[in-house]
Amino acid sequence: MADKEATVYIVDLGESMADCHNGRDESDLDFGMRYVWDKISTTVAASRKTWTLGVVGLNTEETNNAQDSEGLEGYEHISVLQDIGPMTMTQLRELRSSIQTSHTYGGDAISGIVVALSMIELFTKKLKYNRRIILVTNGESPIDDESSEDVAKRLNDSNIELIVIGVDFDDADYGFKEEDKSRGKAKNEETLRKLVEQCNNGLFGTMQQAVEELAVPRIKPVRPFKAYDGALTLGDPEKYKSALSIHVERYFKTKRAPAPPASTVVVNSEPGGASQSETLNEDTEMGDAEFSGVKHMRTYRVNDPDAPGGKRDVEFEDLAKGYQYGRTVVPFSESDFSITKLETKKSFTILGFIPFSSYNPFLNLGETGIIVAQKHNEEAELGLSAFIHALHELESYAVARYVQKDGTQPQLVLLKPNPAIEDDFECLYDVPLPFAEDLRSYQFPPLDKVLTVTGNIIKEHRLLPSEDLKQAMSDFVDAMDLSGFNVDEDGKPTEYAPIDETYNPTIHRMNQAIRARAVDPDAPIRPPAEILLRFSNPPEKLIEKAKPEIEALIDAAEIKKVPAKAQGRGSRKEPVKPLSGLDIDSLLGESKRTTISLDNAVPEFKQILATAADDATIESAAKQMGQIVRKLIQDSFADLFYARAAENLRVMREELISLEVPGLYNKFLTGLKKSILSGELDGDRREMWLKHIVGGHLGLITQDESEVSEVTDEEAKAFAT
Amino acid sequence: MAWGGDDDRRLDADEGEEELDEADYKTQKDAVLFAIDVSSSMLQQPPATDKKKADKDSAIAAALKCAYQFMQQRIIAQPKDMMGILLFGTEKSKFRDEVGGRSSGYPHCYLFTDLDVPAAEDVKSLKALVEEGEDPDEVLVPAKEPASMANVLFCANQVFTTNAANFGSRRLFIITDNDAPHGKDKAAKSAAAVRAKDLYDLGVVIELFPLSYEGKAFDVSKFYDDIIYRDPATEAGSSDEVKTSKSGDGLSLLNSLISNINSKQTPKRAYFSNLHFELAPNVTISVKGYMPLHRQQPARTCYVWLGGEQAQLAQSETIKVDSATRTVDKSEVKKAYKFGGEYIHFKPEEAASLKNLGGKVLRVIGFKPRSLLPTWASVKKSIFIFPSEEQFVGSTRVFSALWQKLLDSDKVGIAWFVARENANPIMVAIIPSRAMDDETSETPYLPAGLWLYPLPFADDVRNVDLSAPPRPADELTDKMREIVQNLQLPKAMYNPLKYPNPSLQWHYKVLQAMALDEDVPDALDDATIPKYKQIDKRVGGYLAEWKEALTEKAGGLMKSRAMKREAEDEDVSRPLAKRTKPAAPKKAAGGHMSNAQLKAALEQETLKKMTVAELKDVLASKGVSAVGKKAELVEKLEQWIEENV
Repeated sequence: MADKEATVYIVDLGESMADCHNGRDESDLDFGMRYVWDKISTTVAASRKTWTLGVVGLNTEETNNAQDSEGLEGYEHISVLQDIGPMTMTQLRELRSSIQTSHTYGGDAISGIVVALSMIELFTKKLKYNRRIILVTNGESPIDDESSEDVAKRLNDSNIELIVIGVDFDDADYGFKEEDKSRGKAKNEETLRKLVEQCNNGLFGTMQQAVEELAVPRIKPVRPFKAYDGALTLGDPEKYKSALSIHVERYFKTKRAPAPPASTVVVNSEPGGASQSETLNEDTEMGDAEFSGVKHMRTYRVNDPDAPGGKRDVEFEDLAKGYQYGRTVVPFSESDFSITKLETKKSFTILGFIPFSSYNPFLNLGETGIIVAQKHNEEAELGLSAFIHALHELESYAVARYVQKDGTQPQLVLLKPNPAIEDDFECLYDVPLPFAEDLRSYQFPPLDKVLTVTGNIIKEHRLLPSEDLKQAMSDFVDAMDLSGFNVDEDGKPTEYAPIDETYNPTIHRMNQAIRARAVDPDAPIRPPAEILLRFSNPPEKLIEKAKPEIEALIDAAEIKKVPAKAQGRGSRKEPVKPLSGLDIDSLLGESKRTTISLDNAVPEFKQILATAADDATIESAAKQMGQIVRKLIQDSFADLFYARAAENLRVMREELISLEVPGLYNKFLTGLKKSILSGELDGDRREMWLKHIVGGHLGLITQDESEVSEVTDEEAKAFAT
Repeated sequence: MAWGGDDDRRLDADEGEEELDEADYKTQKDAVLFAIDVSSSMLQQPPATDKKKADKDSAIAAALKCAYQFMQQRIIAQPKDMMGILLFGTEKSKFRDEVGGRSSGYPHCYLFTDLDVPAAEDVKSLKALVEEGEDPDEVLVPAKEPASMANVLFCANQVFTTNAANFGSRRLFIITDNDAPHGKDKAAKSAAAVRAKDLYDLGVVIELFPLSYEGKAFDVSKFYDDIIYRDPATEAGSSDEVKTSKSGDGLSLLNSLISNINSKQTPKRAYFSNLHFELAPNVTISVKGYMPLHRQQPARTCYVWLGGEQAQLAQSETIKVDSATRTVDKSEVKKAYKFGGEYIHFKPEEAASLKNLGGKVLRVIGFKPRSLLPTWASVKKSIFIFPSEEQFVGSTRVFSALWQKLLDSDKVGIAWFVARENANPIMVAIIPSRAMDDETSETPYLPAGLWLYPLPFADDVRNVDLSAPPRPADELTDKMREIVQNLQLPKAMYNPLKYPNPSLQWHYKVLQAMALDEDVPDALDDATIPKYKQIDKRVGGYLAEWKEALTEKAGGLMKSRAMKREAEDEDVSRPLAKRTKPAAPKKAAGGHMSNAQLKAALEQETLKKMTVAELKDVLASKGVSAVGKKAELVEKLEQWIEENV
């Protein structure tokens, strides 16, 4: 759980905020609100009851604040636009309408701070809160600095952070200075700067910088989660006196952050169906909204030859749980259910050690954990430390079996020492290892030699790099080195693209867009922030620098793009031959196939087409194939032959595309659809149409697939219904 | 499905937009038909010897054992894939329903297990044949005349055509010791070649597993070169060559065959093809991607309907309903994001543009020494890539040059990677793997190529501030070194093949027993459990010494800490002295309380004044379970103090 927060935003709504300055085409208010809306919408997004905020308008026409009501002077033109509380979308919308510039300028910014301060004091009492006041102004309206010391003291006493962000305020650190600054503004800036300096916890900055930093993604902090708290053992302490046991704690080091999840919703059928507002979570109630969530309902069916369609519904209550063993279903009674679960006891025990050099990180199967000694346990601290150092000195990893708690699946993990050489943090890291079943053995030819059919090894071949290419590649890789490409603040070379600078573009693109949409539903989507795509291309400077090496690589590599036409099958294929090179077609000789049988349809169809000399032969083959498809559908008991019919259709479609006669297929399919839908193929065959033909992408051949087709994409889509 | 069980399955009812992973080719199913030659030479028992690793099985027994193992593995790893067993050269013939010697269309072909997802009965009858040698139907009797190979191949053709019509992968595994089934009979050979071409056109791949024993070589050119086709797309030098299984070199015929068949267990399926791999502007090659690593999980539970004669799987269908339980049509459904208690919605074209952060590509942004990869930078499995000449001629040589350079200089590429259109971009390190026959290979069980190793984003890194201070190495470290050095894993490497997943194995072992109506086994041979006895034997002495040294050192540290704390306490206690009431145990440092302080607190009965968090801290630091209500915690602590202080 994150700490409670109470923040009050003071927004200058004075007349001058409506003007545009310093070459911007948006008003000072809009410019400043980019920062404020971003902050507020982040709070809204969090939907936390304990993250509260209020908003005070400065230089408003009206005056509405507690101090003024009490009759205090100097609090004119300050209005509380929203009291402190959790923020919802409804309030966000209301707030949007009240953020408008006025025609006044009589409000005093320091008085505004006092109003905010009192609001926070009243709201948070003495409870534990992160208290903060954020003032956004262009500093044009006069400020009375008489009481600023008292205000600073009160802020400090109440432990409130004061952040002042000024539109076009000077900031030497950031490197911004406004030319032709009015005297009044310069004085006000000075007053506010002094006030901030007197605060224990204060920040004074210019809006340019604040807006610029909005693009830098904010990472959601997550509290460490303790996944394991117990012994790390070497040997079995229950059986052997020699066994070693160190009390450790394990946390996550990496955990994949998810992108914001999308929900499935429907537009509410009855407007204002808020009576059925659904509870999203404990904290928030769904407002009176345009959309409502979709629920999933499951129904269960079993095969029943007597039922219409061969299937019938069964009640969920009548079902038992089970597992599949091949195609046999094995039902389990409730009491037997856990029997297939391996009984395990919480444990973390070492199997043995391997040298660093015998492990390659691509075997890592998932997220990393971090292991430290139990706190305030001297034996564990010293023991684990010695273990870490010994592994490090011997350049060894440990392989361990990890059972997080009783009953969970055992995992094998690799323990890697981190002896605090690069950081101040001594620990073990662990990564999950694959089991035997997690490996699929795929065969690939070697990359550094070519084996001939007869088993000879060839070292020079078009598939192998020449010495020139090897050299060019080596130079290129060295020229494109990133390890010292960046320059740090002190001008020293540092690593380019370290992990802490790479933000997940998907997550932040989505979050930024959602926040923007929430604040302004009508605004178009802005392009992704530059920082998110920073690493999608090599840095230009590096490419510039490595230009000679890249040119040399291009020359040595001689890569040629295969023309789009040749990638396809072309009109006529080389006859395929077995390893021996035997010409099967000549074997057939006289008995060349001209008719297609049901049993051997696909090979015969392909063979006829492969040797077809004229269009009539192709047409005849397509016709025969079509009849076979129809027959299969017609004779099919329920869906028995559908897959086979679909496979024949698929082959027919593919072959006719490559022979550039899509019309034959399209004509046949049009007729087939009619036959299926009219029921003339012995009953209801719609499943064949929907599941196998439409679902199997066996629709009409479009112009995209074959240039000579007369069917457009839209027509094909309309047909596939 | 072979690829079932996604890593990132989430049980959310409200499905999030899950990352496209393997869904793309889930329909790609595999069907394998074993065609096993039943001849008198196949049935010949090997000569009896005393040698340990000598063959004990006849060739046919070895082949059937392989098939049995294959079937079991398939049920675990590829539960949606099919398999069948066709015996040929048998005296009896059987094809589906037609039984008997004469009436069968395929004489001397015996379809022992029809092509299908294996059922318990299939496993049972195969098991009986393999393990008990039970052959009630006398199927393992060779015919007087050999079977026509044309017939065998056409029989296989029919089996595939009817049972696995639209499977993406269909393979015929021929196991035989006869390299010339038709001798010099040209007509019979031609007929077989024609039927083999049919299979090729049907899309069935023939994998030959020749057996050779007693020094007799298997000559594929006599017959099988006319039968076997290679995909013209695969380049010269492909490793798809036929490997003959034989005994020798300490390997029995059975083991040799098992290893050859295992290498073809899973059909090679690409995870993506024709991905553009941009090394630099204007240096683009094409690669294919594979997933040789994938966490295999036990199958999920299903619902079973017991109302019929046989237990039957209930197929579930989901329908979407709105808040008024009205069924919602697919066209009505929209995607929206929860935000501040409401839904934020984007138009489909807007959503598409939000998803689009650039098309599918693997683009190098530069290279780094491998040492710059932080040891903790791991998030998910890596993907294997291999060049393909289909789009760019020269891809293979450029890829090979890069692979060799990365190996030679111990560097990795850093790249931006989008696996498919609309897939989420990630950053990857490109890491080379050595050739399998390279003695320095870390992974001799995996092919040579490049791996895309996903790097965590800044968002994925947890900030763990546990402030464990670094300590210098000392004699404890030196002693520990002896232990580490003496407990190396076999061959000083982690070989996953030696460690089957115990949960998975147990799950299917029990399931198999239940499905076959056998006794449930009572224990599992779990290779992941350390060899405790060996550990004790090898390093027991060192461990004992080390522990002694540790106790002593820890005692010293404890004392020095206590002293330091007391000194601090004195400092702190002065301002606290102003308080009139007896000081509750020092707050901020629950776990830091010295034993003396605890004892004082017990005597003054101020333990109750500690907060639950403080109590838990103290208890945990003393190694006492910190679970329970406050009163229980206080009681536990009191007890501990009484016993230990």
